[in-house]
Amino acid sequence: MSNRLNREIETPAEKQNRHKAMEAITVLNTLKESFKEPPKAMGYFYDLFEEVYCHQKALHSDKVKVGTMCIQIPSEIIYALDGVPIRLCNGFYTDDEIGSDLLPQKSCPLVKASVGHLASKNITDRPDMIYSPTTCDQKTKAGSTIEGFGYDVVDVDFPRTKESEISREFFRRSIRGFSADLSAKTGKKLSRKKLRASISKIGYAQSLYHQLSELRKSSAVPILGNDMFLVTNAFFFDRIDSWIEATEALVEELEQRAKEKVHAAGRVSPRIVYTGSPPIFPNYKIPLIIEESDAIIVADETCSSNRMFNDRVAVDEWFVNDMIDSLADKYLKACTCPVFTKNDDRIRRIIELVKSHNADGVIYQAFAGCTVYELEQRSVLEAMEKEGISILYIESDYSPSQHGQLSTRVEAFVESLKIKNRKRR
Amino acid sequence: MKRKVKDLINNMNLAKVRFWIQLVSFILFVYGGYFAVDLGSKLPIFACPYNAQSGGACYLMPLQHQLAMPAKILLGGAGIAVLFGVLTFLFWFIFLNKAWCGYVCPFGTFQDWLTALRKSLGIRYSTYTQQQFEKLSKIKYIFLAIVLMVPLLIGVGVLGGEWSSAFCQICPARIISPMFSGDFSQWAIDFSTKTAMVLTAIGMIFAGLFLAGSFVKKRFFCFFCPMSALHFIFARSSIVKLRKEGSKCTRCGDCYSVCDMQIKDIADDVTSTDILRDDCILCLKCVAACPEDDALHFDILNLKAFSSTRQGFEKRMGIEKPKGDRDE
Ligand code: SF4
Ligand code: SF4
Ligand code: SF4
Ligand code: SF4
Ligand code: SF4
Repeated sequence: MSNRLNREIETPAEKQNRHKAMEAITVLNTLKESFKEPPKAMGYFYDLFEEVYCHQKALHSDKVKVGTMCIQIPSEIIYALDGVPIRLCNGFYTDDEIGSDLLPQKSCPLVKASVGHLASKNITDRPDMIYSPTTCDQKTKAGSTIEGFGYDVVDVDFPRTKESEISREFFRRSIRGFSADLSAKTGKKLSRKKLRASISKIGYAQSLYHQLSELRKSSAVPILGNDMFLVTNAFFFDRIDSWIEATEALVEELEQRAKEKVHAAGRVSPRIVYTGSPPIFPNYKIPLIIEESDAIIVADETCSSNRMFNDRVAVDEWFVNDMIDSLADKYLKACTCPVFTKNDDRIRRIIELVKSHNADGVIYQAFAGCTVYELEQRSVLEAMEKEGISILYIESDYSPSQHGQLSTRVEAFVESLKIKNRKRR
Repeated sequence: MKRKVKDLINNMNLAKVRFWIQLVSFILFVYGGYFAVDLGSKLPIFACPYNAQSGGACYLMPLQHQLAMPAKILLGGAGIAVLFGVLTFLFWFIFLNKAWCGYVCPFGTFQDWLTALRKSLGIRYSTYTQQQFEKLSKIKYIFLAIVLMVPLLIGVGVLGGEWSSAFCQICPARIISPMFSGDFSQWAIDFSTKTAMVLTAIGMIFAGLFLAGSFVKKRFFCFFCPMSALHFIFARSSIVKLRKEGSKCTRCGDCYSVCDMQIKDIADDVTSTDILRDDCILCLKCVAACPEDDALHFDILNLKAFSSTRQGFEKRMGIEKPKGDRDE
């Protein structure tokens, strides 16, 4: 009886939160329970996601929260100005459905979910302002929609050609503009000391990620790809120092595991490089299907993980402007986002990952509606074929419905990789 | 053991190592005279003999003299001496090639010190745009043509003796190098002939430009240096190489943004393995700034002598575990 009463007074926001909590906990439980024992240090991350997404715990109530729509906004600058970057890419189906009413049916679910999340006004760490780099069309247009919900959205000009010197200059200027704007809004001055310290701090976070990647190269991979996505996704919103501490503990534990040759998957599990539209918590639909089909993701080429952490900033003369320029270069020149006119860098990167991580195949997922990934999948497929690398292309969205059909395809692919491996042996 | 030595080298603080090598070389080549050091006059660097104390000398002066000899003399007895000189000179090119520029040339080092002075004053460097860069970096070939053609024209009698060592007349090193040992006598215009007057006046202008330019722009003069052009011509046969493994490169541009010579290919070209470009001074800053294992390396006799590594990168960029002030 009391239960029903409770239900009756549930507000729409509470209902959404309940749905989101269900989505979140399903994924977390699967990760905790359906695989071989996860590393103990993963406990921090499971709890973090549970607290934030099931119990709506705010993490940054005392700080200026700077929302970012893509990875091209340098978090180094945000931290140096005493803000916290919060990446707004969203993976909840509940939010995707809210967004569906606001955006065209065929839009990318990630964009719909991000817009839906902000539209719902049901946000624990509400960003004080949003910076939107003009990357893919949908993200770019989403900015103005979000503005309509009462957010201060600033476009950060992002070029679509990255080879040219004009683009480099352009983006340098753009990032200078961004830091001036943020500095004015926060009332803080970008100091040399602080910027250098935050470059060093993010660099350290990156070095932890690199250490993890290194461990995934060996024949016994001590961690699942899905757990890795959780670690990298946590970087979107977590307190940086806590993230660093937790990841340090993870590195340490995994090093131990590596010594003991603990393999997170089965002995013959094919090794997969994952690429395409980014897995964002809790939409781990495809990655989970992959690892549930007895394969293991050993590396990825997505903006929610490898691309976010891989490339590093080098500075020659540590003046504020030199640092800003170097940051801009790193965020532009090394970026392998499919929005760019040319795609060679991404192809090279995937091939390099396959080689360095001794992978058996590539799985390329595009969100239905993500034109850029859909458009370039053919060129990637062709390039892989030329290299003799097996690749599977999948289109998916956030809905839980197509599970059966997708898992059949993934299982068949994994099976074919196993057969290939057996033959090779 | 071998691994350890390798790590030690790859993780070294290049800036420091380079500073000391440059300092020692500078003393050796600029003040060597005081210690009776004489490394010959066939050096592929701007150790200018106008500085009476120099411990070795730039080859461009003898080269111009020799080329200006009448053919009869050149093909006669002097020929052997000339040939020997050229061979010594070639040997130096093959030996260190452009690393002479990055580590030894006193004129290069002096520019780096002007850069350090600017840095210590908190002034930021300026750069060229890519278009300017492409145009300006061709000037060194014009200078090289002056070095080689003018003496030949004297030799065949088209130009008169007042043109002898024309490049030295306009070379800023002639004016600046003697200053290191307190000799300011070159700061003067030679009024003996009209040609000498024009050439030495140009030299004065170049010297002034050199001082101002190198203060605001890293390695300002090296863009225009004819010696650098000569180096490049012989780079293929050198035992030292700057190599790149494109498959490991993410084109992050780190190497490009630290390069004093603004060499774009160092980052963007992922197909050439031999990545040395004509403006390069083989300072190896790019290798030190590259975060990808082995994407760039400096080879001696085809062996990797200094490679880019993740670890080395982190050390040099001061990336470390954040201390204290946890902001929660
Ligand atoms: S998945 Fe595709 S459409 Fe969606 S935000 Fe990313 S690039 Fe844009
Ligand atoms: S390029 Fe620079 S460093 Fe090299 S010889 Fe010329 S002046 Fe010296
Ligand atoms: S003036 Fe210049 S070119 Fe002539 S010897 Fe001196 S450094 Fe060499
Ligand atoms: S720094 Fe290294 S990885 Fe980056 S562009 Fe240069 S060579 Fe490539
Ligand atoms: S390419 Fe490398 S070695 Fe050559 S000048 Fe530039 S930083 Fe120095």
